[in-house]
Amino acid sequence: MTRLIRTVVAFALSLACVAALPGAANATVYAQIEGTGSTWSELIVQQWIADVDANGMKVVYTGGGSTKGRKDFAQDSTDFAISEIPYQGTDEQGQADTSNGRDYAYLPIVAGGTAFTYQLKIGGELVRNLRLSGETIAKIFTNKITNWNDPAITKDNNGRKFPSMPIKPVVRSDGSGTTAQFTTWMDHEYPSIWRPYFGQSGLTSYYPKNGGQMISQAGSDQVMNTIKGFAGNGTIGYVEYSYPLNADYPVVKVLNKAGYFVEPTQYNTAVALTRAKINQDKSSQLYLTQILDDVYTNPDPRAYPISSYSYMIIPTGDDDPRMTTAKRQTLADFMYYSLCSGQTKAGPYGYSPLPLNLVQAGFDQIAKLKKADGAVDLTDRDVKSCNNPTFDGKNLSHNVLAEKAPQPAACDKVGAGPCGTATGTNQPSTDENTGGGEGGGATGGDTGGSDGAGGPAAAGDAPTAIDPDTGLPVAGDATTSSGEAVYANPTELVANRAVDQRTFGWLAVLELCALVLLPGFYVAALRRRRATKAGGRP
Amino acid sequence: MRRVVLIGLALLGLAAPAAAGAQPAGDAGVEGFRGSGASAPSHLNHREARTPRDGWRATKTLTRQFVQPDGSTYSFPSSTVTVTADQTTNLRGRQRILITWKGAQPSGGRASNPYGENGLNQEYPVVVMQCRGIDDPSLPQRKQLRPETCWTASVVQRSQVTRSEGEASWVHDLDATEEQKGRLSGLDPFPTAEECPAADIDPYFTKLTPFVTAKGQTFTACDADHMPPEAAVDAAFPPAEIAAFTDTDGTGSVQFEVRSDVENESLGCNDKVACSIVVIPIVGLSCDQPSAPMTRSDQACRKGGRFPAGSSNFANEGADQAVSPALWWSPSNWKNRFSIPITFGLPPDTCDLLDPRPPTGFYGSELLAQAALQWAPAYCLNEKRFKFQLNQMPDIAGWKLMESGNGVAAEVSSEHPRTGPDPVGYAPTAVTGFAIGYQIDKPDNAGEYTHLRLNARLIAKLLTQSYLGSDLGRGHPGIGDNPLAIMADPEFIKLNPGLSQNAQEAGATVLSLSNSSDVIEQLTDYVAHDRDAMAFIHGKPDPWGMVVNPKYKNIDMPRADWPMLDTYVPETQNSCRQDNPAVYFSQLAAPVSTMRDIADALLDSWPNVQTRCEKDLGTGLYKLGRIDRQSYGSRFMLGIVSLGDADRYGLRSAALEAKPGTYVEPDTRSLAAAVQLARQEKVHHPFVLDQGDVRRSGRAYPGTMIVYTAARLQNLAKDDAARVAQFVRVATTEGQEPGSGNGELPGGFLPIEKTGVTAKLFDAAQQTADAIEAQRSAPSGPGDGPSASSGDGGSGGGVTPPGVPEDGEPSTAPEPSAAPTTPPMAVEMPATEPVGSNLAGGLLPLLILLGAIGCVTATALRVAAPVVRRRR
Repeated sequence: MTRLIRTVVAFALSLACVAALPGAANATVYAQIEGTGSTWSELIVQQWIADVDANGMKVVYTGGGSTKGRKDFAQDSTDFAISEIPYQGTDEQGQADTSNGRDYAYLPIVAGGTAFTYQLKIGGELVRNLRLSGETIAKIFTNKITNWNDPAITKDNNGRKFPSMPIKPVVRSDGSGTTAQFTTWMDHEYPSIWRPYFGQSGLTSYYPKNGGQMISQAGSDQVMNTIKGFAGNGTIGYVEYSYPLNADYPVVKVLNKAGYFVEPTQYNTAVALTRAKINQDKSSQLYLTQILDDVYTNPDPRAYPISSYSYMIIPTGDDDPRMTTAKRQTLADFMYYSLCSGQTKAGPYGYSPLPLNLVQAGFDQIAKLKKADGAVDLTDRDVKSCNNPTFDGKNLSHNVLAEKAPQPAACDKVGAGPCGTATGTNQPSTDENTGGGEGGGATGGDTGGSDGAGGPAAAGDAPTAIDPDTGLPVAGDATTSSGEAVYANPTELVANRAVDQRTFGWLAVLELCALVLLPGFYVAALRRRRATKAGGRP
Repeated sequence: MRRVVLIGLALLGLAAPAAAGAQPAGDAGVEGFRGSGASAPSHLNHREARTPRDGWRATKTLTRQFVQPDGSTYSFPSSTVTVTADQTTNLRGRQRILITWKGAQPSGGRASNPYGENGLNQEYPVVVMQCRGIDDPSLPQRKQLRPETCWTASVVQRSQVTRSEGEASWVHDLDATEEQKGRLSGLDPFPTAEECPAADIDPYFTKLTPFVTAKGQTFTACDADHMPPEAAVDAAFPPAEIAAFTDTDGTGSVQFEVRSDVENESLGCNDKVACSIVVIPIVGLSCDQPSAPMTRSDQACRKGGRFPAGSSNFANEGADQAVSPALWWSPSNWKNRFSIPITFGLPPDTCDLLDPRPPTGFYGSELLAQAALQWAPAYCLNEKRFKFQLNQMPDIAGWKLMESGNGVAAEVSSEHPRTGPDPVGYAPTAVTGFAIGYQIDKPDNAGEYTHLRLNARLIAKLLTQSYLGSDLGRGHPGIGDNPLAIMADPEFIKLNPGLSQNAQEAGATVLSLSNSSDVIEQLTDYVAHDRDAMAFIHGKPDPWGMVVNPKYKNIDMPRADWPMLDTYVPETQNSCRQDNPAVYFSQLAAPVSTMRDIADALLDSWPNVQTRCEKDLGTGLYKLGRIDRQSYGSRFMLGIVSLGDADRYGLRSAALEAKPGTYVEPDTRSLAAAVQLARQEKVHHPFVLDQGDVRRSGRAYPGTMIVYTAARLQNLAKDDAARVAQFVRVATTEGQEPGSGNGELPGGFLPIEKTGVTAKLFDAAQQTADAIEAQRSAPSGPGDGPSASSGDGGSGGGVTPPGVPEDGEPSTAPEPSAAPTTPPMAVEMPATEPVGSNLAGGLLPLLILLGAIGCVTATALRVAAPVVRRRR
């Protein structure tokens, strides 16, 4: 009898092994999802897609611009879209910009700064620390300022004068969310400059090109190519910060409300967006969309004014023609990864991670997929399991990143500097010791500690600078003055030019010949003269 | 006795899952491309090695028949068609299978794009599609294939809705039943007017071919709203089903992309649901006895085509329905099918999404992308390992992240200058490289060109933007007489005879990377080691008189980023271009940021040339954009791709010139030959492949690259150091096992092994892994990590004799590790640059010469004057 029991137990155990071993990891069934839209956020989305491949998810994303993304979604030809702006109802051309009846929800996926990258060369050397105020930028992109030697630009750069060269703005030719974000900012902050140029008020996804030197290109990649090109000297264009970062190209430090010129690093973007007003009305179709008015005028000295979020548009209808359980599951899990672990790489890629409250709200939106289809499994996919080290578990609306963001360097203040540090390197320009060399990720602690009042000392009129050689604090003035000294207008030195070498080479040969031959000729001539004289007398 | 049974039972139970688990690994072993030593063909593409193993082949005789008005039967000459497939088992989604045929009726009216609905207006094509089920009458109905389980991406490919009588040839199909010959057919009961308003309109004819999904749901396919969700216009993946072209000699081939249930859930093919590839050579409908006089549909059924064999139909004019691919489902076509049963492999185990371990990111080279996709699950699925992620970015960006401590390690493929205080070790991780991928059709619809050869000067011409692209480029100063594109260049024609010489804009460029990359560095290094290429770049015309674009004359090589140096904006009357003044040659080149984008562009034969200028109807603005996809039969595109991508997507790779006159394709043998030439200068340093050696060898592939895991040897956190070391060790051992399973090495890579030419890489990797793990803060000699490998790997070039303190960077140890950072980096004075002016350069000697002449004349006069005076 016991033997029989043992047999049964052994058999049952072995069966259990069969049942338990495989399958556990494969419990979820995925199907491929595809989307189109923004090139602003494309670089990080493509990386997320490569990451989730290990989880068995197949996601296909093609850029093409936010407008195309919204349109494709409305025509049921994609499973999701990514766009910087919500459906406009009616776009600036008077055409319908709606989802065409398809149920959807917005989901913020990543934050970032719209950067102005440029090519400006002095004596063949790329300027890497250009500073511009918002007003100057608006005037450049409306053909009001057309030369790099414009006094407004000189003033922004604290008296540093640039050579006389026409400014060639590069804009997007396709319907673009980057354009929409940029024009929203201009419309809000500089209506008197923007509206007369546009001929109406409000934003546009298609940049209006009214003559002048403007060049339009399709997609962020091509904008970047145009600016980087040799013919690009004098160009300036707008793209997400990740593009110049990848291309190792400088970006403009933009003047913020506190009077500092700042770069759109993950820190400065995060600080700026602490003032973003997010639509919290869950019943609204615009739930979670952004109102950036206060971001533009954020008084924090670290804030980058043209910061924004990028959104995914997901289908929420229970009768959505394209969605199945497997596809909804893929979409939900792809977003779970992106909102959690995926955010950790936002900084290195030139974006900025989402604050936790938005991640949590994002989960509410993902939950709508389960509402549409009960078979979608969202077990344990919540903020608690969210693997994101930038979050503060106790206070969800805290953005830890914004707190540890370093204060801008004194030389970045209006009327000071400009700083000599290069932009487009993903390194914050600061006087604080952020320990860039050692484990940058772990610096949260020492940022606050390094100079006591450090972090929130805010306005930081003259934060202490550290001398690179001695490691001792130096007076802010010293930095400033040294900065000015360096940035006096460069004079071209005429030594060692290729052409001169050639020319003077020949000249040297000629002179050498002359040196050898002329005395001989001279003597010969003298003799002949003497000879003739002599010959004349006899 | 009973005990024996008991143990046996238990063992059986345990063995079952073990066997299941072992299966993919076992298969993978067979599938590898470890062809280096064997006699088997050693192409990097698995494909060619596979053919004999699990290929498929069948022959059928196909005949079109008409029943004549008198009741007799007229038979057209039969064609005996043989169809082969190169691989049919253990497939993965999106894998491409080579299907070839011979003996088929030559096709006519070639479409510019034969896929999906674009291929319908062709005559006598071969329809290739994927269907669920297999052709086996012994199986239950639901496991058999039928037209209703065959996938098409559009309605018009499967249904004929409200056709006039002249377009209803199928109602006279000889093999059709009476029902199938009706005015309305295909679905019983026929959909109601509410459901399909356009379907039933008297007197028009409608035949529906509904689609039945894997779950049993039926889509009526009467309009786009009644199609499965995957059948969307402009879907991310273009349709796979194709109406392929048979050449005039009766042969043809197609790389058919299979879709698993992950890509196409409705079709639903996976390891459990069997599927088939159905190949239907269209010979034309067989027709029943016509009425007298013949009705219009009788006539339609008997049509024989309006396009001559081998012709093109790029205007997409209508084809004769009876010989078009649109009626593939009609019984007399359907009975001619070849059904190739295919099986999908088990899906690989995947990482758990809820795994609480934070991922450890390695940053850098895209060359490793395909390997990283297969390797990642082998890390997350193992409790003892960490969660590996490869974050692809330009090599230099990854390097900087690693140096600054924001990334634990970088993946690079050449030496990078050290900017941080810590020494860095390079551990060889994979051997792969880049290829010049291409997609070129032979003229007159004679199929694809498969033996492209390129030399360094041709690459130099492409890179330096010395081709004109089109007449717009003719005005470019200094090079107006150059060929428009590479296909019109006599040097290219001599090397690759028999191709069309009609210049296309896409032929003026090779799609390349916009950002800095080690791949570009190696490519330009290859060019820089070619005398002819450098002579060309230095301004010497080639034997046919082509000269370098002056903007690129004397450009420094090698270099990691390729700049857009041209400034020429064509003058034109075109108001769109006047409105968008752009540098024409930069628009032709239009580099992109990842090699993956280049692979996609090649797959779609969609060049990234941005010269299209048109008015946007929505906004009324003129805008620039990308040109159209290229037409089948006249494709010509070149792009720089990784060998991993080339293998994964079945892209063709050009043979590059090594020894003068010798052209080397990337394969295991040529990669191994290149590794043999690579040398390591110092321990922990990268190996250097001297292109000069490659040019002398004649066997080594110039695009071979070794990818290294680079990590700091000091001040890396202990956990991170252990992970990086583990990664290097695992990647160079089990990660080098060729196969398509988790943790294995995909195609396009040369396995690093303990013996043979790659032994030195293996040894160097173990050595550097030990050093990374040790993170010697004080110099402690290499003996501490008892590395078994450094002992037996005596053959390796890079083994340091013991006792010498790891001499990678001796000077760095005393350096203060905590240097104060990011101070306002003081001075950034623009470097004094040579400023040249050719005018002045030319004028100056002239002036001096004038002066000299003046001097001489003056002297001469002075000397001569007295003489003259005297004579007077």
